Amino acid sequence: MAPLTLPLAADDRHLHWPWLVVALAVLVVVLMVVWAIGWSRRTPASAAYVAHAARLRSLPRFRALVRRRVVLGVALTLTALVACTGAVILAGRIQETKRIPQSESSRDIMLCLDSSGSMITIDYEVLKQFEQIVAGLKGDRVGLTIWSGTAVTVFPLTDDYDFVQQQLRAAEAAFATGDTFSDAYDKFTEGTIVNQKVQSQVGDGLASCAQRFDRSSQHRSRSIVLATDNQPYGRGVFTFDQAAAYTKSRHIVVHGIAAPTTSARPLALAEFKRDVLLTGGTFSLLGADGSVPTVVDSIERTEARRIQKPPIIQVVDEPHLGTVVVGIGVGLLVVVWLVEGLLFLKDRDPA
Amino acid sequence: MTYLQKIRTRLTIHAHRKVLGLLEGEYAAVQIGRGMDFNDLREYVRGDDVKDIDWKASARGRQLLVKRYVAERKHTVLLCVSTGRSMAALNQVGTRSPVSKRDLSVFVAGLIGYLAVRHGDLVSLVYGDADQQHIRPRESTELHLERLLSTIHAATTERSGPADLVALLHYTARVVRRRTILAIVSDEVSVSDELADVLRRLAAQHEILFVTIGDADPTAAADSLTDRPLYDIDAGTPIPGWLRGDRRLRREYAALVGSEEAGLRRRLDQLGIVHERVRDTDAAITAVFRLLERHRHARRR
Repeated sequence: MAPLTLPLAADDRHLHWPWLVVALAVLVVVLMVVWAIGWSRRTPASAAYVAHAARLRSLPRFRALVRRRVVLGVALTLTALVACTGAVILAGRIQETKRIPQSESSRDIMLCLDSSGSMITIDYEVLKQFEQIVAGLKGDRVGLTIWSGTAVTVFPLTDDYDFVQQQLRAAEAAFATGDTFSDAYDKFTEGTIVNQKVQSQVGDGLASCAQRFDRSSQHRSRSIVLATDNQPYGRGVFTFDQAAAYTKSRHIVVHGIAAPTTSARPLALAEFKRDVLLTGGTFSLLGADGSVPTVVDSIERTEARRIQKPPIIQVVDEPHLGTVVVGIGVGLLVVVWLVEGLLFLKDRDPA
Repeated sequence: MTYLQKIRTRLTIHAHRKVLGLLEGEYAAVQIGRGMDFNDLREYVRGDDVKDIDWKASARGRQLLVKRYVAERKHTVLLCVSTGRSMAALNQVGTRSPVSKRDLSVFVAGLIGYLAVRHGDLVSLVYGDADQQHIRPRESTELHLERLLSTIHAATTERSGPADLVALLHYTARVVRRRTILAIVSDEVSVSDELADVLRRLAAQHEILFVTIGDADPTAAADSLTDRPLYDIDAGTPIPGWLRGDRRLRREYAALVGSEEAGLRRRLDQLGIVHERVRDTDAAITAVFRLLERHRHARRR
């Protein structure tokens, strides 16, 4: 499969209202010019006239005050300009067009467990192993369906791993007792047996699991982990062969886990193995110890197809720059004002 | 008669406060004489008025004698007021509300003029700035004085030319021929060499009374002088508010003003010109009388 290259993080910063920035900048400049003109030709309408004030200019203290005033004035102007710049930037709304590439792992794994009494310990082991697998997954979706006479979805395909873990632990707890008469088991498998004469229908279970897959239009790697002893009781809708053919037609791979007891029935075992291999999956007959290493291996070997989705284009406001600039400007302005006030208080005539 | 009325009111209050009869004998006469007093006889020369011939004395003395009088000489008090724009500024009044230097100069000129009119003397006016100088004829009526005062008041505006006492005094020296009591009212802070020259030149011709008017302190805190923004009337620029109320600047400015005033006094004393610095209307009366007193003593010396 060719590696899919996505245009990663082609972030594009731009202003939402550039005209506002221009208008405000022009306004600031115009205000400064007006202020400067007004300052230079300020009409002394209410002024009090003083003569011979030129003498002041020869005083050393006057020159010191002028120097201080120039420094303070420049500082005030600059900080005010910084604050104004920040405000203008904020007003213009810097926006970032984020292209969020949606590269998802596209493995869908459906745990398809035979919840009949004979499978309890096997189910428990499979669930335990599967819980470990889930911990390492990223972007893949897993679901759990249990079946006996009919199939019940414990949880559908999802990538909410917290929820998955929680559900898996609940399932483990139900199977942990190994006792078909425990309340936990009864409650968990409620609905899987509608008709006491129809139980452990592998064909129906597999077909139901196969139907649980959604997004049929997407090319995803779909697999079912089927754990059963292939000992149907009664008559179901699908035979194992029919279900396997249906599953294969939907491009779903079935990994079969046969309970140790299956080996006692060579026909069932052969059917199980044949049908599983038909879908392109792996088959493993568990030993008496009930270990399930192969399942894990086979699942981990399944190729995670990556699918290409059009990237999500999000336009997000980026107020950080403007806020920081305004903050710096206003902060410095306050500092300069404080300095000015302190100097004024220090030198003020007590009279 | 608004200006004179003000002065009269002030004077009355002042006189009652200090000494009654203060208005009498204010200044020393330029020429000693007692009006229609008969002085002596001399021989008739051609051109003497026939009416002046003392027939009896001529009969006794066998020659034609004419009576000689010391003609009653009315003195002329020439008010010489600088009306440059700096005179439209504020005056230093300490902690009191500010008074325009113009009002103060009108008051001082009016006071001297009023004393002269009361004395029966003629009052004339020379005023002007760097751009233009004018003279007003002499007369001895209060109405005329009032007109002169309103002329001073009207001429002293923020839009007048810069004050130039030297130019005004040169103008005075050029246009005034007669001997007068020259009362100079200006706001000089120092005596330049040019001013000293022209003062020396005028002192030879006139009796000079020099009154200077102080300036407001632009470094005073905003509430003690005025809350309005200050404006340098000479340079035509605002005086920034942050200059006001600074302790060290006030100290340095006060020292500068003090040394300048001392220098002015020293220089005028060297020139033999009596001088007073006037600060407000109350002090103006005292200052003018002190000035006249010093002048009288100076004459008798």
